[in-house]
Amino acid sequence: MSGQPTSSRAESARDHEEQIFETGAGLEIRDLYRPDDIPGFDAARDLGEPGAYPFTRGPYPGMYRERIWTRRFQVGFGSPRETNERIKYLHAHGANGFVITIDLPTSYGFDSDDPVSEGEVGVTGVPISTLEDMETLYDGFGPDSVSYALSIRPPVSSVTLAMLASVAQRRDVPFEKVIGTQQNDPFYQMSGGPLQTITQFFPLEGTLRLCIDNIEFISKNMPRLNWMVTNGYNLRETGVNAIQDGAFTLGHAFDIFRRARERGLDIDLFPRRASFFLSCSIDFFEEIAKFRAMRRLYAKTMREEFGAGNPECWRLRFSVQSAGNTLTRQQPEVNIIRASVEAMAAVFGGAQSIHLCSYDEAHGLPTEESSRIALRTQQVIAYESGITKTIDPLGGSYYVETLTNQMEQAIRDKLREIDERGGMIECIRAGWLESQINDERIRNQNDLDTQRRTLTGVNRFQIPPEQETPLKIHRIQAEQWGARRAEYLREYRASRDPGKWADAMARLEAGWKNGENMVPLLMDAVQNKVTMGECHEAMRNAQNWSFR
Amino acid sequence: MTAHKRILLAKMGLDCHDTGIITVASALRDAGYEVIYIGLHNQADQVVKVAIEEDVDAIGISFLSGQHMTQMRRLLERIRERGLSIPVFCGGVIPDDDAQALKLMGAAEVVLPGTLSPEVVRLVDGTINRMAA
Repeated sequence: MSGQPTSSRAESARDHEEQIFETGAGLEIRDLYRPDDIPGFDAARDLGEPGAYPFTRGPYPGMYRERIWTRRFQVGFGSPRETNERIKYLHAHGANGFVITIDLPTSYGFDSDDPVSEGEVGVTGVPISTLEDMETLYDGFGPDSVSYALSIRPPVSSVTLAMLASVAQRRDVPFEKVIGTQQNDPFYQMSGGPLQTITQFFPLEGTLRLCIDNIEFISKNMPRLNWMVTNGYNLRETGVNAIQDGAFTLGHAFDIFRRARERGLDIDLFPRRASFFLSCSIDFFEEIAKFRAMRRLYAKTMREEFGAGNPECWRLRFSVQSAGNTLTRQQPEVNIIRASVEAMAAVFGGAQSIHLCSYDEAHGLPTEESSRIALRTQQVIAYESGITKTIDPLGGSYYVETLTNQMEQAIRDKLREIDERGGMIECIRAGWLESQINDERIRNQNDLDTQRRTLTGVNRFQIPPEQETPLKIHRIQAEQWGARRAEYLREYRASRDPGKWADAMARLEAGWKNGENMVPLLMDAVQNKVTMGECHEAMRNAQNWSFR
Repeated sequence: MTAHKRILLAKMGLDCHDTGIITVASALRDAGYEVIYIGLHNQADQVVKVAIEEDVDAIGISFLSGQHMTQMRRLLERIRERGLSIPVFCGGVIPDDDAQALKLMGAAEVVLPGTLSPEVVRLVDGTINRMAA
């Protein structure tokens, strides 16, 4: 490591010390791309026009020239009342799309006063235990006038769907006018290795049945409601790479589509309201290529394998959140720059909606100030940078097209492996997905420990802790929120007709055993003041299943 | 000095973010620890029961959804009630003020995001060796 090497050796040594020429997923990156890297490239066939098969250049003809992506606001904390007030405030300032985050007890179907919920009520989102809670969320708005995307999975999404349908009925809003999204992804919605967390409190087969019940109910009654958002985001956050991200996400959606088709649903109708929630990570060109490749692969699969004839069913639409797992606690201001890079990749990739992580992500829940900076970052890109002004500006780049082809092939190969293992649901059930995730997590940490990969502020370019800027932190009041909700639920239960309640509970159990679509029965239940937790208890009982 | 040291790792409450704890488990195993990881959704009683049965030298709990104060308070109370002197490490997305409060409450160390594996091992080794001395 000492002495004076020749200048050319010094240069190459310096470069190779600092750089590894491969993408995040390990694809080799060459020094220069030329026309012969994309032999046989046929722009009409491989790219097509924006808004036309195979949708490589974007899902819509005009893209951002016609409409800038949606900058969705995430809201949800404390109580339905506080959340509704926040929504009213944001609505008055021009927002009309909201992602409603749900607290953890509700995410698993527990009421705010269940002992399991202690310390978690209202912390990561809003609690929803009763139909009245849902009505409070919609206070001041009709379900046909604001779009709420509920980050919720079955079994719980069946109950929230029943609540939404009941709110529409009570407000005289016809079902066909209801807008919004029920995320409804049975597996990837809960962060982390999914197997234990999706089977801990409800049987897996029951969860899948409710997922399809929801799709059936929505596709027959609520044509404007998005019935499933495949949540590739949470999956990617576990540490898997971009190729796995693409394959596990598409593989999962295709598996659900197959089940919906087995239920007799029309492949030319129901996929129109399917969409994707994807991560955009820091490896700029790889992420752009991933989005373009996923769009093309989805179009080909829907047309050629599923035989969909309706072009709307070939079109992959997606929302993006920037990658929380690329952010650092150290020198947190640097995270604003990371989010900017990720947002630009999402724009070049053709996202329909973007949410950026706040720079204080590794310290706690976002504050108003940090959320505002995340929004301003998007506004600078949308209104100042000019990168939105022509469609798919990177289309035809030798490198981007090469990488798009490579990503498509790699995702396709991985999908074949998944199919050979019996499909994504079987891969999850068998623990194969979990082991894929764990291998990547350990590889990622090892890359940081050994400096194979640079993480600014963590393994290089550090500063002493005393030079860090102190941050304002979002204060949580879990114990007060929990106590207030317990009081509310005691009154709610005391005010209901016990006979009607018991009959509705009995109809839930019977309907489950008869294999009926559960959504209308859940509507009946919540209208008779059966709570979220009680709906789940009845459905567990019907399966002779208990976790307590 | 770390050969055959035993550590119990767990997630508590409803939080299911397990990347951190899986990674820490791997780092400690590589450093010679016997790691008993009992997965997600544990309550304080279960953690204490396994800690006694397995006769571990330390416990490590990881959090990412804001439940660290409630769950750690309950766990440390149970440990004290049983008269145990097992050090409890806590890690995850925890605000600085809470990290201080957790140490005052009795957490052995609070391991924050961005801590590299050798440092995690050094913190755990150091505490266990100090307690044994």
